[in-house]
This record gives sequence, structure tokens and C-alpha cells, in this order.
Amino acid sequence: MDYFNEHWVTLVLTAFYVGGCLYIGWFFKKKASQGVEGYYVAKREIPGWVISLAFFSTSASTNTYIGQAGKSFQYGLSWAWMGLIWTFFCIVSWQLLGPKMRSQTARLKSFTIPDYFHLRYKSNMAKSIRVLSALIILFATIWYMVGIAKGCAHVLTSVLDIPYEYGAFAIIAVTCAYTIWGGMYSVLWTDAIQGIIMFGVAILMLAIPFMYAGGTANLMEAIGNTEHVTQQGEPMRSGLVTFGELVSFLYILGIGLAVGMKQISEPKNLIRFYSINNAKSMRFAMIWTPIFLGISLVCVMGLGALVHGMVNAEEAGYLIHHTDEVVGFMLDKYDNKFVNGICVAGLFAAGMSSLASVIIIIGTAFVKDIWHVVRPMDTSKIIPRTKWFMAGYCVLVYVLTLYPMAGIVELTAFAGAVFAASFFPAIFGGLYLKWGTDLGALASMVMGMLVNVVWRFGFRFEYAALKDIHEVIPAFLMAMLTYILVSLWSGKRKPDDAHLKLVFGTPKE
Amino acid sequence: MDFLTVFPYVGILVLVLLNAILVLKRDITVDSHNPE
Repeated sequence: MDYFNEHWVTLVLTAFYVGGCLYIGWFFKKKASQGVEGYYVAKREIPGWVISLAFFSTSASTNTYIGQAGKSFQYGLSWAWMGLIWTFFCIVSWQLLGPKMRSQTARLKSFTIPDYFHLRYKSNMAKSIRVLSALIILFATIWYMVGIAKGCAHVLTSVLDIPYEYGAFAIIAVTCAYTIWGGMYSVLWTDAIQGIIMFGVAILMLAIPFMYAGGTANLMEAIGNTEHVTQQGEPMRSGLVTFGELVSFLYILGIGLAVGMKQISEPKNLIRFYSINNAKSMRFAMIWTPIFLGISLVCVMGLGALVHGMVNAEEAGYLIHHTDEVVGFMLDKYDNKFVNGICVAGLFAAGMSSLASVIIIIGTAFVKDIWHVVRPMDTSKIIPRTKWFMAGYCVLVYVLTLYPMAGIVELTAFAGAVFAASFFPAIFGGLYLKWGTDLGALASMVMGMLVNVVWRFGFRFEYAALKDIHEVIPAFLMAMLTYILVSLWSGKRKPDDAHLKLVFGTPKE
Repeated sequence: MDFLTVFPYVGILVLVLLNAILVLKRDITVDSHNPE
């Protein structure tokens, strides 16, 4: 009984939250099963506020609320430059890609990112781009899913003492269930509710160090000059509040670009543009999505640095080597049942919203963009097979979560760099450049992967001057250049005028 | 606390505000289920 006395608030809130998610999945079960367009893109009939919150909750995950927030314990308040870069790319994504992508994908009847490549560039080579991009999605996404499942399971272990393997199973099973039942409908509506919770929890978490320290002046005095040590054992002194002292700006820029540019290239984000219902909704989402994301990042990106005001030298000496535990430690230290319960719900929301978004991307990529392309199937089989594949993939993610390999965080950032370099040129060119060709798109995709791999595993860590230059920078530039040069060189391969008229619509746009 | 440490926190807020003004001034059209 002691267990329930201690944890009842968190248990009740968690049960309420999980029940809500499952109810939404069940509610949309029938509607989502009526056709591929409904299951894959929610028939492009979702209101702007839902899409806006869903884009935000999909972009930010437990990697943000636990991983990135904890990192500023090591790097100081300057870590928020990450958030600024991230918000900038969120704005670029909505301004540059949003309206165009919604229009073109509706005209082309595109339901996934890989099939957009096929329908836009319209050739046999474009068909192979579709399969290649689906394969990239399958391989690049699994590390991200394992990382999130691991983060959520650790939260359950540290807050509710639930064994890791049970916690991981519960998280994956619940998310998988509501995603399979309601397809894109339940992903978007649960994402929206999770987005509201995450936004509130970001603000609440920021308040904790200030409340604990007894006000702004006390907290700033504590972190402004501290004897807590860096990873190398040197005292930080004013490092937490001084730009560039604990981490080089070049390093922040590289990680910031790798994470931020996922907004303009990663399918789980771009698929949001497909489902929005009209221009009025588009305008709402273009304004509010960066606000939701930006304010949340202002709250969490410097959180770890503020936690220095809550811990003693010995605790800081441990946490500096375990920054993933900083947020959990902060909640333990503050020790308020209600605050803990709400924050745990927020961390679940952060993890599950991103997990559900990639589960559906995985299912659609495999069934519609690989299987259906290689061996065309009757359309009535597409939804059931998508459901089965998603369930199977979740089992694989669970097994990998039980035996996680080292370096998942680095692999996830690397996957982000692959998306940015390999997908963005072909998408941007497809939306804006009538002279873009299938060969240009394919060459840029291959170049993006190649430069990423060669830069990272070839010579980035061989030369001291290059170690802070993230592979996303050279890979993105080379892929973009490749798209332009190869498209110009292979100009004859561009689709016929009638097709381009369909793609780009009437001149008034 | 130096200027460049504070900058991203203020910068994010200014950025989202500028974006809102830009979007309101922009003519937005989307493609054929729920016309405005």
C-alpha cells in the first residue's frame, strides 16, 4: 500500500492520459479504415490548430525534454542557441514548404513523401527514387524510435519504479495500438492533445528551479559563479552564464543544424502539411507552430543550467557525467506529487507523440512505397498490410530497446543529417524548380548519403580543426549543388508540360 | 550574463513575432475538401 500512497497522483494521471489516447484511437477506428486516403493522410480534412500542435509535438520528443534539457547542465545557458536554430528552421519549413506542399500533394494525390518523389518527377527512375527514399526512412528511423522508447522507459523506472522491460513494453504497446486503430486520424488528434500537455509542462519545468531557489535573484546568484566542476574536473565559475566558455559555438551550430534541419526534410514533419484542410487553417498553423515550439524551447533548452542552483557539489559531480538524469533528478529533488505527476505525463506525451508519428511513416513507407511498387496489390489490402507491418516493426523496436546498442543519440543526429541532405533538395526542387529532373533528385539523394558517411567516418575526427563541423553542413551543400547541376545537365528528362501544369497549377499561385 | 548568452532566448521570441507579421501580410492559397 505504501507504493500507492506514494505514487497515486502519478498513477491516476498516467492512467487517465493512456486511457485518453486509446479512446481516441478507438474512436477513429471505423473512419480510418474506410480508405487509404483516410488512413494515410486523414483525407486532408484536419483543422489548423490540430496540425499546428501535432507538428510541434512530433518535432519535440523525450530527446528534447530529457536529453537536450539535460545537456545544458554541461554546456550552460548558451545551449539555447540550439533552440533558436531549431525555431528558425520551423519557420522556414512552414513558410517555404507548407502551402506549396499541401497544394501539390493534393493535385498529385500523393499520400507519402516517397510517393511524392515518384508522382512529381514521373518516370521509371522516379519509381526507384520512391523505393530508395522509403528504404532510407526504414533504416534511419529505427534508432530514433529506440532512443525515445528507452527515454520513456527510464522515466517509468525512475519515477514509478516500474522495471525497464515492462515500461518499454507498455509505452510501445499503447502507442502502437492507437496508431494501428485510427491511422493518421488518431496520430494527429493524440498529437494535438499531447502538444497541449507538452507546452504546459515546458513552462512548469522552467518554474521548478526558480521556485526551489526562492526567486530569480537567488537562482542567478547560485549559477552565476559556481564551484561545480566541468567533465574535465575544472570549476565552472561563471561558465554557465558566459557565451562560448563551456562549449564551442561551432559545435552548437552543427548539432543545431542537424536537429533543426529535420523540420525541413524529415517525413514525419512534412507529412503534416498533407492533412491540413484549407488556406485559413494553413495561415493559423504557420503563425502558431513556431510559437508553440519556440516558447517550449526557451523553457527547456537552458533548464539543465538552472538545475545547478538546486544541487550540491557532490550531486553536480555525478550529474555532469549523466546529463540524461538531470530532469529526473530535478523532479526528485523538488518532490511535489502533483508537479511530478504532471511532468511525467508531459514526458510521456513528448515521447509517444513522436513515436506514433514515425510508426505510421514506417508502415506507409514499407507497404505503399516498397511492397506495392515492387508487387502491386489490390487497394483493399493496403490498410490491413500497413497495420500488420507497423505491429511487426514495433516488436523489432521493443527487442532493440531491451538490448540498446551504444551511441543511439549520435546515430539519431546522424539520421537527421541524412534526411536533411538527401531529401530536402529533391523536395525543394520539386516544389519550386520546373526544370528539376528525376536524375537530379536521385543524384542529390545519393550524394547526400555519401558525403554524410565519408565526412563522419572518413575524416571528421581525424583532424582537430574539423571535429566540430557536423557532417550535415558539407552534405547539405553538396547535395543541393548536385541537384542543381545534374538537373541542368539532364534538362531533357524533365516531365512533359501537361504534367508540369498539373504539378504547378494555374499561374495565379 | 553576457549579451550572446541572453540573445537566443530573446531571439526566439522576436523571431516568432516577426514570422507572425510576415504570415499575416502574405497571400496564402492552397489547392480542390473544405474550402475556406
